[in-house]
Amino acid sequence: MGEYVLNIAHMYPDLLNLYGDRGNVLALLRRAQGRGIEVNVRAYSIGDSISEKDVDLVFIGGGQDSEQNIMKDDLIKEKGPIIKQMIEDGVVFLCVCGGYQMLGKYYETYDNKRIQCLGALDYYTKGAQVRFIQDTIYEYDGILKDGKPLTVIGFENHSGRTILGDGVQPLFKVVKGAGNNGQDGFEGATYKNVFCTYSHGSFLPKNPKITDMLLEKALSRKYGESFKLLPLDSEFETIAAKEALKYVQKST
Amino acid sequence: MASVVFASFVAKATRKVLRLFGKGATTLPGKLALKINPTIIRKLSVDKDIITVTGTNGKTTTTHMIVEMLSNIGFDVVTNISGANLASGIATTLICGGDEIIKAQGGSKQKTKTVYVLETDEAAFAKIAGDLQPKVSVVSNLFRDQLDRYGELTYTRDCISNGIDKNDAKLVINADDSLVASLGKGREGRTIFFGMELASMKSNNVTHPENKGVLPASPDAVYCPLCNVRYEYEARSFSHLGAFCCPKCGARRPSPRFEVVYSLSKSPSDPDYGYIIKDTTINEANEMILKVPGSHNLYNSCAAVAAVSAYLEEGNDKKECFDTACKAALSVKAAFGRMEKFSVGDGNKQICILLVKNPAGLDRSLSFLANAKDADSLFFLLNSNIADGKDVSWIWDVDFESKIDNLPKRIYVSGERWADMQLRVHYAGGRIDKADCMEKAKEILDRAIEACEPNKCVYILPNYTSMLALRSILVKQYGLKDFWK
Repeated sequence: MGEYVLNIAHMYPDLLNLYGDRGNVLALLRRAQGRGIEVNVRAYSIGDSISEKDVDLVFIGGGQDSEQNIMKDDLIKEKGPIIKQMIEDGVVFLCVCGGYQMLGKYYETYDNKRIQCLGALDYYTKGAQVRFIQDTIYEYDGILKDGKPLTVIGFENHSGRTILGDGVQPLFKVVKGAGNNGQDGFEGATYKNVFCTYSHGSFLPKNPKITDMLLEKALSRKYGESFKLLPLDSEFETIAAKEALKYVQKST
Repeated sequence: MASVVFASFVAKATRKVLRLFGKGATTLPGKLALKINPTIIRKLSVDKDIITVTGTNGKTTTTHMIVEMLSNIGFDVVTNISGANLASGIATTLICGGDEIIKAQGGSKQKTKTVYVLETDEAAFAKIAGDLQPKVSVVSNLFRDQLDRYGELTYTRDCISNGIDKNDAKLVINADDSLVASLGKGREGRTIFFGMELASMKSNNVTHPENKGVLPASPDAVYCPLCNVRYEYEARSFSHLGAFCCPKCGARRPSPRFEVVYSLSKSPSDPDYGYIIKDTTINEANEMILKVPGSHNLYNSCAAVAAVSAYLEEGNDKKECFDTACKAALSVKAAFGRMEKFSVGDGNKQICILLVKNPAGLDRSLSFLANAKDADSLFFLLNSNIADGKDVSWIWDVDFESKIDNLPKRIYVSGERWADMQLRVHYAGGRIDKADCMEKAKEILDRAIEACEPNKCVYILPNYTSMLALRSILVKQYGLKDFWK
């Protein structure tokens, strides 16, 4: 039994599991376990009730349209009020792609059909015909390295264009890629301890500083502001990020 | 419109020239011919007996099995190579395939036509199934596969469904895959289901439950699309394959006509694994030997037996056809890149290539390797060219974690995205012996073979374009034949 325990809620993993989203949960698990922290990952799917006291960190991934249609009602009607409360209370969330879009106000399809979303965060998404599918590079000024914003590496695959309102902040500045909408040069959104991004798959594995930030926020919320993560080797993560960056720069 | 004769002439001439330069010429000739005459596939298919094989996993293996079986039975056979499964490759095969007939074993006994066995890409199937007018269409399974290229899995299913509507081929389809099985709905008269026997699945689930990892794999198609309710499974073989049932509408797995009776008390990873295939309509059972190892190849073998039986059956005795198909399956060999082994070094070491291009393929290969007694080491190669899918995140969908303890301890990694794969193995809990870029692939392979113990095997797991790159290394260094020969 470890001194510290981290409870991760993996939302709808049987439906929202595209493009290696599972890797993000694995990264949280490995980098917490590596520091002797006990980790419980619990799946919450349709019909499962969720309670704030059982959860320190929430992960919501993206799904195929047909799969998101299956779980959307459960998220909005059943779990919605509790999730909104958790967000206001400062529970740490990482939401990717569909998970990102569904926390917003609404999603308007390409043919102008409006699909109501959870409405927890101040943004909406419009569908478009052209998909953004590419490797991406961002800057994150929430973590500084030698006084400079952290370079983040990702992969985006989305047809939705997300437009942020005043109630949220963009998460990253786009260096390469389309980001939220291909227009304003920003990617993702953040509000309190919620972090939303279009970066799929190996987002956390290749960006261990963000993994650590999420872990530290979740655990310091639970164990007090003085909680600090122990140092942990990032050799393989760093090599993967460096090589991916080289690959992306070479192919453009 | 230019004539078929002219289009064919251009294709054949192109092929001759390309072959002079050492190229495979498996798609360009057909591409040109289609430009000259877009109806060429339809025109050339008219008097041919064609069997198509589609689905996200196991296409190549199943196609190859059907080819060998028909040849064993006494047919001349023409087929396409796995990389040439779009309209262009299939047109090339229809035009030029006559030059590369796989002759009937022991001379042609049948005075019938040459059989064309065509591996067909899922999206291409929708476009050309009407032109091909196949006698038999096999659909192996539907797993997530390069979604950035193909889109959603339900879309792939609908593509295949559209294709099916354009002909009246007998459908040989997987009963255990809910997405594939749904293709049989409303087409009962022409559908032949294959799958695992329920009693076998049930008892194997009890005696050999799957290892639980730290996180379950990302599943496909586990909800009833009509009711949006999670399927219940009476028994499972692997992933979303099994005896599914919707608790709301009661839709359930159709009972297969051809079913596999198997026991995991022996391992399908071992050579010469014994099992049984039953034809339930005539209550016949034949003892079989799995010629291409791995539990997933039980599905491919059963699909091949079902397809060949269905092809032979036209007006013939069912039992005779079933027995002939089963017998022909007993001498099938592995295809290149699919469990085919080569001796290297002083001949007492082996290498074996397992193409893995999507999560289901990697999952099944790891499951096979966790039980392969001769596995000395693993060598992963990962590229992300257009033909592979630009997105390498699929390697994270696989439950690597539950298998790592039973995998060989020596693991090597290469390919253009070697560092992604290295991190994947690291997070799975594996230790890397050596990892480096594609330029170093040959050095790493040499090192792996050098370290390999006598009478053991280095298992190489590339994805598509890294396999092609590796193949040219193997051709140079070990004198393996070129892939189109």
